[in-house]
Amino acid sequence: MSFEPKIVGILCNWCSYAGADLAGISRKKFAPNVRVVRVMCSGRVEPAFVLKALQSGADGVLVLGCHPGDCHYAEGNYKAARRMPLLKKMLAQMGVEDERVRLEWVSASEGDRFASIVNEMTEKIRQLGPFNHNGGGANG
Amino acid sequence: MTSPTMPPEAEANPGAGGERVGVYVCHCGTNIAGTVDVAAVRDWAAGRLKDRGVVIARDYRFMCSSLGQELIEKDIQELGLTRVVVAACSPHLHENTFRTACARAGLNPYLCELASIREQVSWVHTDKEAATAKAKAVLSGAVERVIQNEPLEPLHVPINEATLVVGGGIAGIQAALEIADAGFPVYLVEREPSVGGHMAQFDKTFPTLDCAACILTPKMTTVGQHPHIKLMSYSQVEEVSGYVGNFRAKIRRNARYVDETKCTGCRECAKVCPIELDSEFEEGLAGRKAIYIPFPQAVPNKATVDKKGYPPCRVACPAGVNAQGYVALISQGKFKEALEVVRRTMPFAGAVGRVCNHPCEVDCERATVDESMSIRSLKRFVADYELKIGREKVKPVELTKTDRVAVVGSGPAGLACAYDLVRKGYPVTVFEAAPMAGGLLRYGIPEYRLPKKVLDSEISYIKELGVDIKTSTPAKDIGQLFDKGYRAIFLGTGAGLSQKMGIPGEEIPGVIYALDFLKYANSGVKVNLGSRVAVVGGGNAAIDAARVAWRLGAKEVTIIYRRSRAEMPAVAEEVEEAEHEGVKMHFLAAPVRVIARDGRLIGVECIRMELGEPDASGRRRPTPVKGSEFVVDVDSLVIAVGQSVDKAGLAKELTYTGWGTLAVDPVTLETNISGVFAGGDAVAGPADVIAAIAAGKEAAESIDRYLSGTDLRQGRPEQVTRVKEVSKAGVKSKARATMPVMDLSRRTAFFAEVELGYDEKTAIEEAKRCLSCAVCSECLECVKVCEAGAIDHDMKDEVVEVDVGSIIVATGFQQFDPSAIYQYGYGRYPNVMTGLQFERASNASGPTGGELLLADGRKPEGVAIFHCVGSRDENYHKYCSRVCCMYSLKYSHLLREKLPDAQVYQLYIDMRCAGSGYEEFYERLQEEGVNFVRGRAGEITDIAESPDEEGKLIVLVEDTLIRRKRRLPVDMVILSCALEPAADAGQVARTFSISRKADGFFLEKHPKLDPVATMTDGVFVVGCCQSPKDIPDTVAQASAAAARALAMISKGKVEIEAATSLINEELCSGCRVCNALCPFSAIIFDEEKKVSRVNEAVCKGCGVCVAACPSGAITGRHFTAEQIMAEIEGVLA
Repeated sequence: MSFEPKIVGILCNWCSYAGADLAGISRKKFAPNVRVVRVMCSGRVEPAFVLKALQSGADGVLVLGCHPGDCHYAEGNYKAARRMPLLKKMLAQMGVEDERVRLEWVSASEGDRFASIVNEMTEKIRQLGPFNHNGGGANG
Repeated sequence: MTSPTMPPEAEANPGAGGERVGVYVCHCGTNIAGTVDVAAVRDWAAGRLKDRGVVIARDYRFMCSSLGQELIEKDIQELGLTRVVVAACSPHLHENTFRTACARAGLNPYLCELASIREQVSWVHTDKEAATAKAKAVLSGAVERVIQNEPLEPLHVPINEATLVVGGGIAGIQAALEIADAGFPVYLVEREPSVGGHMAQFDKTFPTLDCAACILTPKMTTVGQHPHIKLMSYSQVEEVSGYVGNFRAKIRRNARYVDETKCTGCRECAKVCPIELDSEFEEGLAGRKAIYIPFPQAVPNKATVDKKGYPPCRVACPAGVNAQGYVALISQGKFKEALEVVRRTMPFAGAVGRVCNHPCEVDCERATVDESMSIRSLKRFVADYELKIGREKVKPVELTKTDRVAVVGSGPAGLACAYDLVRKGYPVTVFEAAPMAGGLLRYGIPEYRLPKKVLDSEISYIKELGVDIKTSTPAKDIGQLFDKGYRAIFLGTGAGLSQKMGIPGEEIPGVIYALDFLKYANSGVKVNLGSRVAVVGGGNAAIDAARVAWRLGAKEVTIIYRRSRAEMPAVAEEVEEAEHEGVKMHFLAAPVRVIARDGRLIGVECIRMELGEPDASGRRRPTPVKGSEFVVDVDSLVIAVGQSVDKAGLAKELTYTGWGTLAVDPVTLETNISGVFAGGDAVAGPADVIAAIAAGKEAAESIDRYLSGTDLRQGRPEQVTRVKEVSKAGVKSKARATMPVMDLSRRTAFFAEVELGYDEKTAIEEAKRCLSCAVCSECLECVKVCEAGAIDHDMKDEVVEVDVGSIIVATGFQQFDPSAIYQYGYGRYPNVMTGLQFERASNASGPTGGELLLADGRKPEGVAIFHCVGSRDENYHKYCSRVCCMYSLKYSHLLREKLPDAQVYQLYIDMRCAGSGYEEFYERLQEEGVNFVRGRAGEITDIAESPDEEGKLIVLVEDTLIRRKRRLPVDMVILSCALEPAADAGQVARTFSISRKADGFFLEKHPKLDPVATMTDGVFVVGCCQSPKDIPDTVAQASAAAARALAMISKGKVEIEAATSLINEELCSGCRVCNALCPFSAIIFDEEKKVSRVNEAVCKGCGVCVAACPSGAITGRHFTAEQIMAEIEGVLA
């Protein structure tokens, strides 16, 4: 059986979750590999959530927020934009491939963009193969 | 309550904290069930999630129906459920529905979770197996999360009874009136000077053909007068803070430069305004003035001055002379008034109009079209005009001040200073050592450039105002002046010492310094220079000396300059004229020795120079080329290499800079001696006249402050806003007026002026080239005619704050600009117009009084109307603008009515006439004899292929009903343009925290069930800013939003989200990281306890602080780390 990646998508309520809903309303078709968890703002995303997902069996984590300047809470997405690189730096030190965790901006009107990000991410993770958290990244 | 009955298979599992979870899977008809195996999901939940506390799992066709909801309510009561999960559609749609159902059954609403398996599962996947698996995962996440959920109680806060309505079109007007009529206060903010919006421009309204103004203007008037409506026109909302029920909006009330309480709407001001531009209201079919009331029925009926800042010319002028102001008045033939504008700043229109180095012209925007305006010569023109017609003696200024001021030196700096001070009411005495006043203007600039009678007239003007000028009266001792009772002193003593070159032989007779030479020449003293004269230097003094020498009879005049032409500081026109007169130029050469024989000058030895690296002045530094010496034979040598300040002429206590000029404070121009100010060449070294005038003015300001005891520095240097963008659309290239000059042969005979000045016609034509960069030119003609005294050109923007409970955004649309579609020729063919232009052309109160005419005044014999211009077009807007079919039909009707003999064509793709009475209107038009052609117009051309087409616009279209290409010769084409989001819709969306759809219009909370609300509670969107719509729909939406606002007001309080942050004081370390992070300033620091605390009413629950707290002291209620982690674990299980 081919490898089907499990990806956790942590989406902000106002832009990205609405964008994901719009993809549905527009009946876009995309890969079924992302399971969505809703938060109010991408600024709420603790690095621990991403670690938790990887630890619990996710092969990749997608964090989506509003475009810069569009945050419902004015600037929460900027906080996310600063936290994620720090987390990724740490993940790199732990041997986790960079592409397994991705931060993107998706607005409430970008159903297409949501669908294509999901497809891209799924393909990417499919190429990388399963994440083996016990063995440490791709070497595991 | 019925006692819970437990099905045998439903045993609560202690592993899930003893919670009893009910799972409900919705089919949503086939929406979910078509792709997800609902029964499998249900069974999986009942079986696999049993040990996670699921005691019951059911499926139902429509969970959101009342029967579906009752099912849940019954289970809560009968099975004793403590948690509910509904796997159905998006929480954005039905979270509230199911929360409310749970609440009805006695379960806290926050203990209900939605698993979205429609928008994010069944609608986006096709593989049934994969979709079912994903649905299970999402459901599992929701179950894990709901177990962790905690009951929360929503917070109730009182609601502010006022409402903010943004946008004063028909949508905003309607909403405002509904609320105000109910007795509650409304702030109505409109960006334009008048309310009315697009509807005020319309001629008739479809399908009833009511006159738009007739049904709109009564409403506009009511809005303007309603006791509960505070109308703020010409204003914009800049910032919104707060939350539903308690918003605070910051509103910028743009300065309209007219006091609304005084203006009577008489429009006299507009009559005298010299600035005319396209009227926005008339869609460019007519003009308006810079001070204007956009249309006769405007509300408020108050004038507005359209002022965009300072024009570039005025910013560039060191003295800030209002060039646009006098140029505008010249264009109207108001020469006297134009001179008045110059004199508001400085008294030397004639002198400066001749000799200025005109930085204004360098920055002139007109130069980006063709050539810069001839600003300097226009200034001269108005001065000459006054000399020609004669000037009446000026009334002396009433001297209201008692402190006397002494001005030392009567050059441009001193006189400008005296001029400003006397006009402020100070008694001023000017001390001048020379026999006549004027300084370098008199003794430095030759007659042929600045005739003495011009200068005399301007100096006498200053005297008439009341300035006492004492000539032949040197004032050297500052102390003595103070002793005589002068309270402040301005030193404008200039730089009158000629700089020496420091070369051997400089002392030989025959060597003369330019300043002395020019002074003699200007005083009528004869100087014999011989026939060969060399002048050293590249400044204005050098050029002047050379040209004077030529006039005095020298046969051969040579200028020796050590740099090249590009670096010459002299005015370029002067250099050209000098060459024209035969003056030779030796560039890149410098004298090294004066050669004499028998004590008489016979030549000057020079060396060639080359240009090296740029020096401090930014000009490339010349360096000598070894061995390149050469000799120029001359009879005399004029040295014009610079001037310096004569320290001997001034008080010893004064301090100097390293350059030998007076040291002053750069802002206040005060010297080291208190009360003594200085400016002009004495401070700056030899510089331009206009710079000296600027310094004199600045010193006058300082002296006024000094004497009145106010702060010398506050608000200085003055900050002015330069115009940002200047519209150059439609400006046709037109060359700058050339200055007529005196014939060469007549120049030597006498010192008559070379430049002859413009005649009136040339001046007016030249003035008309001005682009009016700043729109209002501040000529102040309007102030003169306003009997009510309502105009105040110094008005400033005002920012007011209002507190409101809800906000209705009704900011409307803008018309698509059809010039983007090149093949339709809009902007190229004068008879191709937009829909809005047709509305104005057809309107009885429009520019043609409702007569439909072509650009050349003929009546059209054929008219084509294009539908879908910019709409339903992949290149522009994919959407249908909804109203164009109907308004196009309306145009056809008006055309048939007004031009019964004309052929009218409608080029449509589909006719969309859905609405009350719309289809009937379509049928009526078919009977009225309109030609309907099904097909999108391809192109408009004016190239005729047959005699019928001569002089016509030929419309090329494929008639898709008869499957033939057609050429329709017409005279007029109306483009029914799309409605698109306003250009700044993005900014508006951010201000009010609303989202936009892919097409750019504002996003409503739900397209069907909540079309006027937005994702931000308390903010509503109505009218065309939400999507294109007709007037009836707009009005209905406006009333709907008003009803929503009123519903909140009548409730008196509003429920706000309980999912806010909470700080555990035990854990808080008081680091205050969260304080700065919170975008709403909801976190306050308790100084006493040294802990942070959240103001729940202000907190919006974003959770930024929760993620940031290093102590983990903050709980994001309903989005706790435990809840989110549980969900993550659940979706991966």
